[in-house]
Amino acid sequence: MEFLSQTYVALRGPTGAPQTALDTISRLSDRLSPSTLLADRRASVLSLKGLARDHKRDVGERAIPGLLEVLQNDAELDADIGKAVLDTLNHLCDTEEGSTEVKELGFKHTDRVLADEKATHKLFALLAADQTFYTRFGALQFLSTLLRNRRQIVQSYFLTAVAGPAGIIAVLEDRREIIRNEAITMLQSLISQSPEIQKVLTFEGAFERLFNIITTEGGIDGGIVVQDALLCVDGLLRFNASNQSYFRETPMAVVLLSLLQFPPNLPTHEPAPQQFALQFWDTQKGQNAGLVIGIIGMLVATKGANSGDLSPFTRCLLEMALASNAPSTLKTQSLRLLPINQSLPLSDILVTTYIPVPETNGEEWDRLEPTTALDALVELILNGEYSGLHSTRRDKEALELRATAAGVFESFVGQNDIRLLILQAMIPSEDGSAPPPVTPLLQFLATPPTSPLNPASVVSTQLAAILFAHLLRNSFRAKTLARSIKPPGAGFDAGQGSFFVPADGQAPAPPQPSEDEDDSPQTLIQLLNEHLSLALLSRSHASSSDREAREWDRLVTAYLTLLSQWLWEDSKAVREFLDAGGLGILVEPVNQTSESDVLVPGLCALLLGICYEFNREPGEVTRATIHPILNRLGIDALMGRITRLREDERLKAVSPESTVLPYPTSPHSQPGLKPETTGEAEVWFDWPFVDFLKSNYYTIQRGIRADPNSLSSSAGQTPETEILVASLKEMMRNQSQEIESLQSKLKTVLTEKEQERKALEVQISQLTSDIQAANEKRQDVEKEQEDLLVLLDELSSKRRRDKDRLREAGLEVSEDEGDEDEGEDE
Amino acid sequence: MAGISWHYVLKFIITGDAAVGKSSLLVRLTDQRFLANPDPTLGVEFGSKLITIPEENKIVKLQCWDTAGTESFRSITRSYYRGAAGCLLVYDVTNRTTFESCRTWLADVREHADPHLTCILVGNKVDLCASEDGDAPRRREVPAEEGERFAQEEGLLFVEASAKSGENVQEAFERAARDILAKIQQGVFGDDRSPGVKTSRPTNNNLTLDQAGSNGRCCT
Repeated sequence: MEFLSQTYVALRGPTGAPQTALDTISRLSDRLSPSTLLADRRASVLSLKGLARDHKRDVGERAIPGLLEVLQNDAELDADIGKAVLDTLNHLCDTEEGSTEVKELGFKHTDRVLADEKATHKLFALLAADQTFYTRFGALQFLSTLLRNRRQIVQSYFLTAVAGPAGIIAVLEDRREIIRNEAITMLQSLISQSPEIQKVLTFEGAFERLFNIITTEGGIDGGIVVQDALLCVDGLLRFNASNQSYFRETPMAVVLLSLLQFPPNLPTHEPAPQQFALQFWDTQKGQNAGLVIGIIGMLVATKGANSGDLSPFTRCLLEMALASNAPSTLKTQSLRLLPINQSLPLSDILVTTYIPVPETNGEEWDRLEPTTALDALVELILNGEYSGLHSTRRDKEALELRATAAGVFESFVGQNDIRLLILQAMIPSEDGSAPPPVTPLLQFLATPPTSPLNPASVVSTQLAAILFAHLLRNSFRAKTLARSIKPPGAGFDAGQGSFFVPADGQAPAPPQPSEDEDDSPQTLIQLLNEHLSLALLSRSHASSSDREAREWDRLVTAYLTLLSQWLWEDSKAVREFLDAGGLGILVEPVNQTSESDVLVPGLCALLLGICYEFNREPGEVTRATIHPILNRLGIDALMGRITRLREDERLKAVSPESTVLPYPTSPHSQPGLKPETTGEAEVWFDWPFVDFLKSNYYTIQRGIRADPNSLSSSAGQTPETEILVASLKEMMRNQSQEIESLQSKLKTVLTEKEQERKALEVQISQLTSDIQAANEKRQDVEKEQEDLLVLLDELSSKRRRDKDRLREAGLEVSEDEGDEDEGEDE
Repeated sequence: MAGISWHYVLKFIITGDAAVGKSSLLVRLTDQRFLANPDPTLGVEFGSKLITIPEENKIVKLQCWDTAGTESFRSITRSYYRGAAGCLLVYDVTNRTTFESCRTWLADVREHADPHLTCILVGNKVDLCASEDGDAPRRREVPAEEGERFAQEEGLLFVEASAKSGENVQEAFERAARDILAKIQQGVFGDDRSPGVKTSRPTNNNLTLDQAGSNGRCCT
């Protein structure tokens, strides 16, 4: 202080007259030059530091070059002057406080400091070389300020600073917590968006230092410092393939898993340990863990080719999401980061889930039987966390988790084989011996809605409809399979946990119980048809409460969206729907004139359009039957319904990333609705449906306009392909006709031949027997002839003897005969 | 994560003029393929490879930083010299200028790097001088003897290699690695005294080794 007053006296000058601040500042600035004594310079800096508070502009204008010189020459030698000059400069460049004018000044001063690279280089050199607390601390703070104001310039200077990387490493290793923490803060902005700096620091071992800090601070149980250090790690890795390939091979990648208590070498068949699955969570820990999960997700996503085995990182994410007591947001994040490809063995890997013991405040947990990850996923989607214990939760986090899980399911069944397998499992076995399986998914679709509505089951049914749509979408084979699903006795409780509440006893279970058709349970389309009709009816009665009407609306929406996607391009399903009386159900809501309600009429109009467009199978209700109904409803009115549906806020707000909307979305339409709990949310549509609608609404609208006899104009077909398809169809028809006629011709020819052959066979057998008879006859005759010959012979010899005797007796005997006989005999 | 079984981690830098084939040498080492017509490296790129030195019975992990040869990145790439244990100084045998620049590169490396750094001079693209190809062979502008002589004068290791055929690529890294291991045996690097060398007990893959590494340097 003595110095200060002395300086002031000296400066005041001999006259004693009060000086202006500007004069004082000029004089003090002059004193900063190296030619003065160090003590004088120190005093000047201290004075300027005080004056800078009130005269920022003037001090900045006059003193900055001098101050920079002091920084360059003196800061390292004299700790006091170092601290003072850093504080002053930092204050001059500060843009955080004050009016916009003052902030402008801060930027201007920053630009002067950064006019060349010397000051910045010096600051990094101070970090590297100077151990003094205030010098390091001041330099870090000043660098933070400069980075905040003009990040890119400072970054470019860093890359040319010889001491740059070493300086950063040095402060990260500083044992003084304050310095280290300040360094982490500064580091975050230094590495931001600069792959080169990220790589240099990686080379210098920044990861190792950061992980040292993280582990010594207690891992994810540590505080904000851990969070900042993890942010730095994330910043060094994100969008930096080179650093990722470095990091992945270091032991630190595995440390990430250990931070979450997940054993890196866990064999696939062994369950995750309890200390991983059940942890105590608070907000800070949740944030730290979230960062760790984010980094793991990054490593998993870029893993690429060698994904044959389930990597411990993927397994960790899976366990975290499905079988831990982590906060819902962490589970959602883990699910989002799961690399979804077909090699993810969701249906093979077993997970062990836990549910909290009631009344123990999360301190005691029951372990459940292991299930496959796929079952656990479906369970999570349909019932919410902890086996439906929280199924009534309507807050954004809970719904977000379930919707995200549904997204994972969608990606998982993206491959045809898998969805066909899942559907196959729902179909009763062909011999009918085994009872048809009841999967939880089917259960929710087949269970009729009960009035009054159970809010939890609305969400479950909605999500079940979404999952089922994932199974069917764009797959003809899947739709064909699904048509043969016949959920067994829709009403009976298959032990679906605490969830399914038979509100009015057993009575209302199946709408048309199995009395009339005992042995043929209804198909799913028929059931959905009935539930839809029931829900529409209940909705019109539920007008007493807006809230309840909205619940019914959501249920109706779920059924209608599923049916729309199912019936699209599946004329057999359309046939079934129409035969079950679907037309009548749809017409009424379209016809109602309520202005406030856009969604249900719009969806009904959409489904009606789909039914008309794809009604290509012969049956009772033909296109020609529907056409006049469409006309009566008004083609333009139908178009309008569909267009207004597309403009609805609840549809427009859905994006691939967000399905969950705040309750109530588009609040102005029903001002009476208020969320019952804070943060209440709702789900109306999922992105694939919105995408489906956006890509196909035009085809449907055009289809509604089309003549009943016109050909189908399925999505995405150009006129050329249509013509081609039509001509090919024509050709096929001709050819099949030809084949048919040829076949019939062939048939007649064949029968003719056959008859002919038979006739001939008969003839042959006849002839054979004739021949046989003739033969026998001939043989008889021959034998007779022989006998006769013998007799003749005998007679001739007797006659000769008689002749001889006659001749002996001297009687005349005719010779001629005898000669002849003798001649013959000889 | 059973893959972390190495005795030493050695940091390498690859340096030399633009377009002499530094990135291709690295890709040949790590991926066993030839990187035809690569884009010029911006700044640096990282690649790594485990190699075995049978006579020492040691598994060595090479961490290689492939630097940009372009002048504009010179200041960035210099930051990497200091922490390296080994350096591949690369030139193109069909381009005399790239060989002549090696003197400058070497001076630069010597100025910034650890004095015990092992440097190997690599004459790349020898495949172009072999005439069996259909296209006319490019003329060799730097005879092998000249490279050898320069290396001897400067105390460098020397090899001629081809990233295209793969000839001598792994050998180049291995020779350098052997040399470094020999220096470690002689105690030149001491216990983790150089930032370019890290030792490990293969089973112990925790953070302790990093701490060991940092302890050695915290009072610089």
